[in-house]
Amino acid sequence: MRRRSWRQLVVAAAALVLLPGVALAQQLTIWHDLGDPGTKFFAEAGGAFAREHPGVSIRAISYPTDQWFGRAIGALNTDTAPDLLFNNYERVIRVATQTGRIMDMAPVLAGIADKGFLGEDDLRVATYDGHMIILPVQRVQMAFGVRKSWLDKSGEAFPTTIADALRIAHIFQDGDPEGTGKGSVFGFGLEAAKPRDLIHMLDLFTFGAGLRHTLVDPDGHVVIDEPRHAEVLETFLKIYTTDHVVPPDTINYSFGEMYQVIEGGRVGMFRVGDWNVAKWTAQAIKGDFVVGPWPQFFADLPGNVVIGGMRGVAVPQNAPNKALAVQFAAFLLGKPAQQASLNLVGSAVRKDLDVSGLPAQSRPFAAPTWRLAAYDFPEASLVWYPELEAAFHRKLLGAIAHPPADFKAFIAETAGEMRVMAKALAEKKG
Amino acid sequence: MGRLRADGIFYLLALPFAALTIVFGLWPIVLSLQVSLTASATALKAAPVYVGLSNYAAVLADPVFTASLVSTLVYTALAVVLNVGLALAYALLLDSPYVSRGRAFFKLAVFLPVVTPDVAGYVVWRWLYDQSFGAINAALKLLGLPLFGGIADPGTAMLAVLLAELWHHAGFYVVIFLANLAVCEKALSEAASIDGAGPLQRLRFVILPQLRPAIAINVIYALIQFLKTFSVVVVMTKGGPADATNFVSYYAYQLFDQAQYGRATAMATILFAIVLAISLAAYRTAERGRA
Repeated sequence: MRRRSWRQLVVAAAALVLLPGVALAQQLTIWHDLGDPGTKFFAEAGGAFAREHPGVSIRAISYPTDQWFGRAIGALNTDTAPDLLFNNYERVIRVATQTGRIMDMAPVLAGIADKGFLGEDDLRVATYDGHMIILPVQRVQMAFGVRKSWLDKSGEAFPTTIADALRIAHIFQDGDPEGTGKGSVFGFGLEAAKPRDLIHMLDLFTFGAGLRHTLVDPDGHVVIDEPRHAEVLETFLKIYTTDHVVPPDTINYSFGEMYQVIEGGRVGMFRVGDWNVAKWTAQAIKGDFVVGPWPQFFADLPGNVVIGGMRGVAVPQNAPNKALAVQFAAFLLGKPAQQASLNLVGSAVRKDLDVSGLPAQSRPFAAPTWRLAAYDFPEASLVWYPELEAAFHRKLLGAIAHPPADFKAFIAETAGEMRVMAKALAEKKG
Repeated sequence: MGRLRADGIFYLLALPFAALTIVFGLWPIVLSLQVSLTASATALKAAPVYVGLSNYAAVLADPVFTASLVSTLVYTALAVVLNVGLALAYALLLDSPYVSRGRAFFKLAVFLPVVTPDVAGYVVWRWLYDQSFGAINAALKLLGLPLFGGIADPGTAMLAVLLAELWHHAGFYVVIFLANLAVCEKALSEAASIDGAGPLQRLRFVILPQLRPAIAINVIYALIQFLKTFSVVVVMTKGGPADATNFVSYYAYQLFDQAQYGRATAMATILFAIVLAISLAAYRTAERGRA
């Protein structure tokens, strides 16, 4: 009997000690689409945050991108929002337009003292409709990659001009660098199937060449037949068609198929995103690639590495723990969280991070010495742009399926059609 | 009183299933209809802006949709004829005395693709068609025959997709035909034979009339299935090349991808109406034939 009373006393005492802790414990939920690396990043950043905020834990849930959209929009519209959302700028734009419930982070950024590492371009690709919809956390950089062993076997150096890249593409194709038989490998690994696939590739060649817009300028004027744009577009279309330097099925390639030919050792030159490097050094390509800027098109414009946007953190206006969520969002710009982001996801925005533990191919992304050019994101200012882009994609795919005899005439004709459509869309949708 | 009680028990037992049908079957259709009447930019907001039938007008005025609808109808017609026709021929062959040995093997061979996950099967077909390492062109090359454009050529892409779907679905139709053949009156065929009817006459006047239920089921099911063709396009062609396989289901999905929810659901609703109308017409035709 006495033993039982003693046990009850211990349980009661333990409950008294633990209960205040339980009552104070707070969990922030963040929805992202970065898979395991993202979840590990938030776990590490959350651990560091918890040291400053005892009792707070971070629960990161990764959804496939298309599910992330539906869940985020649905949750914000039904007051069941998570505390934080993490994704690419252009995706958060869609959530913001469909819900109107993304908090303006400008005052939060204003309250952060240590933010000098964020440039004008970084802030531009965080702002939509006059509001800062994300705090920029990870810069999305895309460089030009080439198989190192293929270059070595061919006795070639990293291509710096588009003429060089095309010449090397043919050398790769003729030289059978993998020893799998002539005709089994190709110069470039690209994609084309969906609107974003092909236009994304064109974006890389266009911004990589130093031009500022792919299809329209910020006022909505079509630019594709301006001399330099037309030159890039013609070269781009010929790479897909008459140059015969991509796998013949490229017209049906989306990201999955493009990655298959890159990782399967069937192409020599390809896009390398900062987030690709970890996998491509540890598995897949096993580090057999070198990275650099996109090939130069014009003598007076050096090639660039392209900033394809920004991944950042957004706070829903109806977040259950909004004040704490804002603190965690700001914490993600601090050095510990940024270092975790660089180590685990491969990108960050701070420039004072330790890069010694990174693979050689990651270091240039972390401490860029090359020229950077950022996307212009016309969809941020022109609501009708996605529709125009889909029509442009359809025209380009038609030219890839049935290459025109005169590419210049095709570009001029396409520009005319796009102008008519852009005008109609602008009048209809504003 | 007893009848009333029996009815009550029936409705009580049916209630959960009716509720499930309403919640998971009818409610999404109603919601989809609602979204199709709203402006895309506000479609998923708590208070969407209603725009009447303007999304339907935009869809019907869209030349890409018209082309997509024509492709869908052409593809469906070809796919239904090819799938049901070949399945019928295969089933008749399996049921005939010509295949006395290995019947189980042939049944299994045609049915295995049906239970194979469609995505895995279509990925393999994509590789078979690959223009640089695909087995189909390798074989054609070996035989000195012209190469097949497969899914890379707008002129052959629809046929390539059709063949992959034939491989995946035909076994299902074969099973339905075999089930019907098993209950066919063999004596009628024997009597016709004694009366001097040849094999084609027996097929036309004795066997096919008895197979009418299976033909009706297979045609209606195939119509519904091929009008909604989607997964094969997602895996193999993504609507291309140059819109050659941009069927309505996939086109609507692309619009979802561009956040044009109003137009996408309007398109889905139009497809739903077409599927319903064609299926009902096919059902009525089958019923009239039976009468």
